[in-house]
This record gives sequence, C-alpha cells and structure tokens, in this order.
Amino acid sequence: MTPASFDYLSPASLEEALGLLKEHGDDAKILAGGQSLIPLMKLRFTSFPYVIDVSRIKELKYIRKEGRKLTIGALTTTAELEESGEVRDEFQIIHDACSNIADPLVRNMGTVGGNLSHGDPGNDLPAVMIALKARFNLQSASGKRSVSAGDYYKDTFTTDASPEEMLVSVEIEIPDGRFGAAYVKHKRRAGDFSVAGVAVAFSLDGSGRLGSAGVGLTSLGPTPLRSAGAEKALEGSKPDGEGVKKAVEAARADSNPSSDFYGSREYKLFVLGKIMEKCVAEAAGRAQKEGSA
Amino acid sequence: MEEELTSTEKLVRGKGVYVDDIRLPGMLHMAVVRSPYARARILSVSGGLNGNELKGGVESVGEGAAAAASETTEPIFGLKSANYAGQPVAAVFADDLYSAQDLMDSVDVEYEPLKPVMSIDEALRAPPIYSSTKSNIMSEKWRGEEFEIADAPLVLEDEFLNRRVATNPIEPRGLVASSEGSRLTIWISTQSVHSIKEGIVGSLNLKPENVRIIQADTGGGFGLKGGMYTEYLIAAYAAMKYKRPVKWVETRREHMMASRPGRGVKGKMKLFADRSGRVLGLKGEVIVEGGAFSGGMGEFASNFIALQCTGPYLIQKAHVRALSVYTNKVPLGPYRGAGRPEAAFFIERMMDKLADELKMDPADVRLLNATTEPFKSPTGLEFDPSRPFIEKALNEFNYRKRVANGNAGIGFFVLVPALQPGETCRIAVRGKKVNVWLGGNSHGQGHDIFIKKLVSDEFGIGEDDIIVERGDTDQLEDGVGAWGSRTAMVGGAAVVSVARKIKDQIEKEFGEYTPEHLLSNEFDVYTFERQKGSLTSLGGNMASVDIDALGTVNVKEIDCYYDVGRALNIDMVRSQIIGGAIQGMGQTLTEEIAYGPDGQLLTGSISDAGVLNAESLPRFNIKLADSYSRLPHGAKGLGEAPTIGVPCALARAIEKVSGRRIRETPVKPELLVGLEG
Repeated sequence: MTPASFDYLSPASLEEALGLLKEHGDDAKILAGGQSLIPLMKLRFTSFPYVIDVSRIKELKYIRKEGRKLTIGALTTTAELEESGEVRDEFQIIHDACSNIADPLVRNMGTVGGNLSHGDPGNDLPAVMIALKARFNLQSASGKRSVSAGDYYKDTFTTDASPEEMLVSVEIEIPDGRFGAAYVKHKRRAGDFSVAGVAVAFSLDGSGRLGSAGVGLTSLGPTPLRSAGAEKALEGSKPDGEGVKKAVEAARADSNPSSDFYGSREYKLFVLGKIMEKCVAEAAGRAQKEGSA
Repeated sequence: MEEELTSTEKLVRGKGVYVDDIRLPGMLHMAVVRSPYARARILSVSGGLNGNELKGGVESVGEGAAAAASETTEPIFGLKSANYAGQPVAAVFADDLYSAQDLMDSVDVEYEPLKPVMSIDEALRAPPIYSSTKSNIMSEKWRGEEFEIADAPLVLEDEFLNRRVATNPIEPRGLVASSEGSRLTIWISTQSVHSIKEGIVGSLNLKPENVRIIQADTGGGFGLKGGMYTEYLIAAYAAMKYKRPVKWVETRREHMMASRPGRGVKGKMKLFADRSGRVLGLKGEVIVEGGAFSGGMGEFASNFIALQCTGPYLIQKAHVRALSVYTNKVPLGPYRGAGRPEAAFFIERMMDKLADELKMDPADVRLLNATTEPFKSPTGLEFDPSRPFIEKALNEFNYRKRVANGNAGIGFFVLVPALQPGETCRIAVRGKKVNVWLGGNSHGQGHDIFIKKLVSDEFGIGEDDIIVERGDTDQLEDGVGAWGSRTAMVGGAAVVSVARKIKDQIEKEFGEYTPEHLLSNEFDVYTFERQKGSLTSLGGNMASVDIDALGTVNVKEIDCYYDVGRALNIDMVRSQIIGGAIQGMGQTLTEEIAYGPDGQLLTGSISDAGVLNAESLPRFNIKLADSYSRLPHGAKGLGEAPTIGVPCALARAIEKVSGRRIRETPVKPELLVGLEG
C-alpha cells in the first residue's frame, strides 16, 4: 500500500465533513469503506491532495424502517444491510445484492454510500436503487437536495453530486399491495465483479399483471443503467408472458456493454436475457407473498 | 520453551521469514520504471539508474536455458527499444517504498511507439521485430522422421491453443542484496540458490567466491523462481554501487506484466488411423509464443513439447515441427508442467476426436493404441507399458459405470521429469544433530518432511535429531533446483546416497553402524548424485462436470491415478495432487494473461487473471499405482502430473456435456452457449 502522499482529514461530524468539502472542493475525496478508493490510490491510478475519512460520523450509520418506507444512512456497511432481518424479510432485493457483493471482507468494510457514489457500472446497489426508484439525499454546507437514483449516474465514475456534496441517505418507498423485486447477478467466480446484473421491481395487480415497474442494470454500459424500455414492456404484461421477452429486447437495446475478458459484448447481452427472465420470475414469486420487495 | 515447528507449520502459522520481512540497516527500496508500450523505439532515457550506465543482458539460467547474447536476448534495461509492456527501462532507490515510487516520476523516457506483434499468427505474418533476424521465428527444430501414408483410411486434423497463464504464487518475486567489501550477499525467494548464483556471477561478471545466495522462506514458485530476472541484476548492481542493502519485492501488477508466464502454445495435429481406431502416424506442428526475447524457456519449450506429442501410445511414425516465435510480450517462462501439459492436451484431444469419428469409447481407442512393452516413440518419448496402466486406471475410476452418465472425460499422459543431471546433498553431523542441505530449494511444498523421513529411515534416528537447512551457496557448493517434478526423486536419491556414504564410513571406522556412533561423532559429506537416462511415469485423470445455461462449468469430481513410485509421504502426495489439479482446472476454465491488440495488459490483478478460489473445489478421488522406481528410495516424479492430466480430462468432460468441440484453454463460456468467443 504505497499511495502518493495526501493529507488525511478525519471529521467527527457531518457538519465538519461538509465544511471540509466546501473548503477543498475538487482537491478532496471522501473515504468511506475504502473498498474502491484505496485500491485505486494504492496502485497510484488516482491521487488527491486531501482524503476526508468520514467513518467517524456515526450519525450516518442506520437502517430505519417505517411501514413500507426504508431509509438507509450512507455509512451503513453492506454487511449490516445483508445481516438486517427487516431488510432480508421485507426488502429481499437489497439482500440479494448485498449478499453477492465481492466477499464478506469487502462487505464488512464497504458502505452503501460508497457503493452508490463511486459510479462504477459494476457496483451492485445502483441497479437495485434504480429499480426501486429510490431517492438519494445529498447534503452540502449550503443546503440539501434529493435526486432520483435513475438520474444520479452521469458517466463512468461520475455522478450528479458536486464536489461539495455528500450522499447522506437513501430513501425507498414501496407501494401498497402486492409488490415484488429481485436482483440477479452473474459472475465468473465467487468474489468477481459481475458479467451482468439485473434488478427488477414491480407491483402485481389483481389479475396477475404487472403494474408500475423499475429495471436497473449492472455492468452493461458505462454507468449503472435504468432501462425505461424494459419497464414499459413489463407494465401490463404477465410475469411469464411475451412482455418479458419484449423487456429483454428493450433492455438489450438500452445496454451498451464492451467486450473484455469477462465476456464478449454478445455474451453479456445473452446473459442479460437469461438472468432477466430469472429475475422477473423471482420477483413475481415474491409479489405473491404480499408486502415484500 | 518455544515449540519446534516444521518448516511447513511455520509458514502456515505466519511465522515464516520472507524476503519482505528482511530489514537491514540503511536499506534502500527499489522501484522499477517500466515501458508502458508493448513496442517502442526509445529516443532517450534520463534519470534513475538506467541502461546508459548499466549495460548488458540477462544471462539465462535455470530450467531449459542456454547462454546467448545478442539483440534478441533480454537486456537489463531497455535502452534503444522496448519490446513488451512492463520491460524495465530504469530503476530508482529511496529510504522507503513511498519515496521510491515518488521518484519514478523523476525518470524521463522519450518513446516512439511502434505497432506491436501480439499473437502467434501475427508473428508468422508480420515483418521481423528485430533487424538482425529474417523472420519472427526464434527457433525451429524437427522431431521424428518424415513419412507418407498415402492410403490411410482416416486422416484427422485439428488445431489447439493453450493461452498464456501467470504463475501467481502467493508471494511474488523479491530479493534483498547487500554488499560488503568484495562480497555480495543476496537473500532471495527462489527454487534454486545455485541457479541464481550462476546468473548473478555470469551477468555481472563477478567472481563466484564473492557471491553468496541465501534462500528466504519462499511462498510458492511454480517455475517462476528458478531463473534469472533483470530486476535481480539491477538490485545486485545497485547494492554494490550505493554500498547500501537494496530490497525489491514485485507488486502483483508487476507480476502480471513482467514475470514470465507459462503455456502460450499452439498445436496443429494431423492423425492418420485405420477404421479399427489404430493410429498409423502423427504429423504435428508446435508453435510456442516465446515473447520478446530468446534464450529461455520460450526458445526451448517447442522442442520439449514436440518430444512428448505422441503421448503414451504406440505411434510408430511421427514427425513434428517445433517452432518458437517472437512477439511483443514478456518472455515465456516455465510454469508447473512447462511444456508437458501442452503436449498432452494436443494428443489427448486428438485421441478423443478419433474416438468420436469412429463412434468408439475414448477408453477403447486409448487401450487399442497403448503398449504392452516398454516403448520409445519416434519423437523420443520413452515409457513403461501403458496398456496395463490404463486398464488399471479405468478400473480405479470405475470408468465403465460412471462414464455412462455422459459427463466424464479421461486423459492419460507420460510424465517426463527433469531427472538429469541429478542433485546435490550435504549432510553434516555435529553436536548430536544431523544437518541436511539439498540442492533444490523447497518453495512451500515442505520438502523437509520427506527429507527427514529418508534421513531418519537410513540412520535409524528420530526426526527431532534432523535439521533441514535452507539453501545457501556458502554451505552447499553446487546444486541444481526444485522444478520439473524432480526433488523427491533426484533430491531424495541424493539424500539417501550421502546417508549411506556416512554409514559406510562409520562401518569402516567402528566395525558396525549404530545411531550412537553417528550422533556422538562428527561427519561432513557432500555428493552430487548424478542421474542418467530417463525415468518417466504414467498418469491418468478423469473429470466430471455440469454446465449451466450461462456456460459456467462446475467441476464435480476429479479422479487421479498416478504412478509416483514409492509415495514418501501420502499427505504430501495428496496435497501436491490437489494443488496441481486446481491449477489444471484454472488453466482450463478461467486463467489467462490477456492483452488488448495495442499490447496493453488487460489482466492486471490476480482476480482478473482468473485464479480459482475455494468455491471451485471438486471432490477428489486419488489413487496411486503400486510401484517402486529404480532409485534406491523408490520415488518417481509427481509435482507436475495433475497440471498435465487434468486439463485433458476436463476438456473432454466439457466437450461431452456441452456437445461442442474444445480446442482452446481457457474454455470460454461464449463457446459453451453457442456464441463464438
């Protein structure tokens, strides 16, 4: 571990952290669990004059459930989410993702905020939050705002957050009635980044047809993707019908994976189809059991 | 009192002392500036220690090497040109590693990038990389005799590729060099202190008596740590120049780009047969991607592969062309098997093809072509009767019953161990302890376990009285190395030979040998126990797999039936087999060192390189032939056997389950789901 030299700042409160971000702007980088940032710094692929370690800010470490609304503090680790009974029972899609991030060592350190804000198209939680139509709460020294998950990702490693802003929490609210969601990821070996991942969430009406749907995609383009085309194709269709095939076609059209040694572009699009079918079936199964995602 | 631990227990409990644990007063840390281009003209280099000052080349030593010096041999630093991404062009030194890496920015290199040659096919087409060669052919040899079979009822042709694989020991390369007066001492992670000494002495033009090489605890080698590397020479030179100890330990990323990988071989095979399944003749072409420089494994591997292309079969006519070619990649090196797995893959894939063509059981085709007498093939491969061995193996695998499931494949091979020229051993008895030095150095296998057993058996003393010493050129005058499935075999023979010499000495002096005479006196005997001829052994594997809808292969079971001679320690034999089998699985399923067309490395981490993890472990069924070799302790070779047999059996199992012909490793999921990769 031999990064280029930097100043290490360790604020004790959110207020102090936001002050430091305002002061240093582009020259500073937030260090949360360090599972993406530290490898990049250690290889000297990136360096920053200031690293702001936010791990002492305990106020951002929480999981709060009120009815069908879930709020997650940005510094909650992915292991804490994975181990939460409420999340596992009622937001299974989040458990699907968290129990499949890298390995337990990474999950013990990596945070929800880091996973969502690194802007890596291979991270798992962005697709899940896009499918669940989550809201991301951002805060800076000068104010607060919220942005939808689907609008957060601008380019590879680039999000809508300005250098002075920090993601402080995520809010998810699932509709009343029958609702199902699932995340399916395909990887070469345990611990690998995914070849492709698909998150799907939808309501199921009385006739067994899909209502409002959300579809998020992992590792299938330069950013985590929302497939509006797949959402539209799913809405009004049966979970085992033609609509799913159309959704796969639409999701493929919305994707733009590149060939690498994890798989060719064609293979990734093939995998997308297979896991999307599995994902919709899984979500539909869950929707039969009222009130869980 | 501190607990006595075996060397293996020390390593497992985190009590080893590796190169990176060594700290000497005033020690400098070295960082290497490497070419970012696969091929470039270098217009100028300034800053750090570079080729303007330190000229010369890496004298190739170790397994499969010969001395040479020209434009095509690896220079210590690239000065006028760079020929692979990662080639050293300068080195910088500082009191700590952080500062050393900061200093890398102080080196200025002006490059003029050139179009690199990045594959075997490209190398054969492209103009030569070097102005002093007519083509990109590094070496060409033929084995066997030319023949024609005009009326062969069946002629089958196919082409295979084993892509390059990194050696990836847990501990990468590293050394600490220290110079005092005229004396240079190097602590190094190695498979052979003597091979390192030869390289340092030869390349830096030093007197042998002024160089001492000591082995640090070594966390894996797999062929990587037998030979000389430019970074070792740079560190040694710097230690002498700056009069301060110098440490260099490579990063995993450096390992991926600049440590010599293995495999990287193409095989074109043409099999002549009759309709009963009998092989009439074999023509072949082996093309090794030698990488940027000649003089090492890359140059010689093709001939060694050609030797073994006939497999354990009665093939009376064979003619094989052995080519090595230059490309703009790091030079090839030995990796566990080092030519043996490639040859077995090529011939075993052809035997399966022959079986399919005639709708025969692959086992029957092999039995039909196996030998009932010892045989030497036209390419020079010698082996014991293979028919009884294959029959026994099929029984041990319960083949006839299990293959009915349709998900199993088999593979058979001849293991050609590095028997010659033998190995050295020294045993010194003093202070009621027996100290043993062996020419080849354990790199994590736990050689001390079998050495103690052999010494204890010969002398009739307890293992507590025996100390197995680390490799040290000041303590052992000569030695070969631990590679090529050889140490239990030739090292073991050397241990037995020296022990018996001491016993003879005691008998002469005292009229009879007793352990008391041994321990209450002093002895010091050294021998280079030379070996001639060949001592090959047979091996067989079976593998069974499932493949899911996404083309992911799940290996369910691996069966092994090997002739290891007398197994000196059954637990060590099992661990060697399991470890090697996982590497064989890795090569077949996921492992690869991949480059983009521009010559940039795509696999920069151990994870990218596809090394398997525990989740991938299948069930192992390990059986050993009842056997005793002609050596005094009965051992034969072992270490490389699983990396040879497992890819053959596994490729066939994948072929059976997927219904798709397997020609390349690693097998890409694209192929298995019907999208060509």
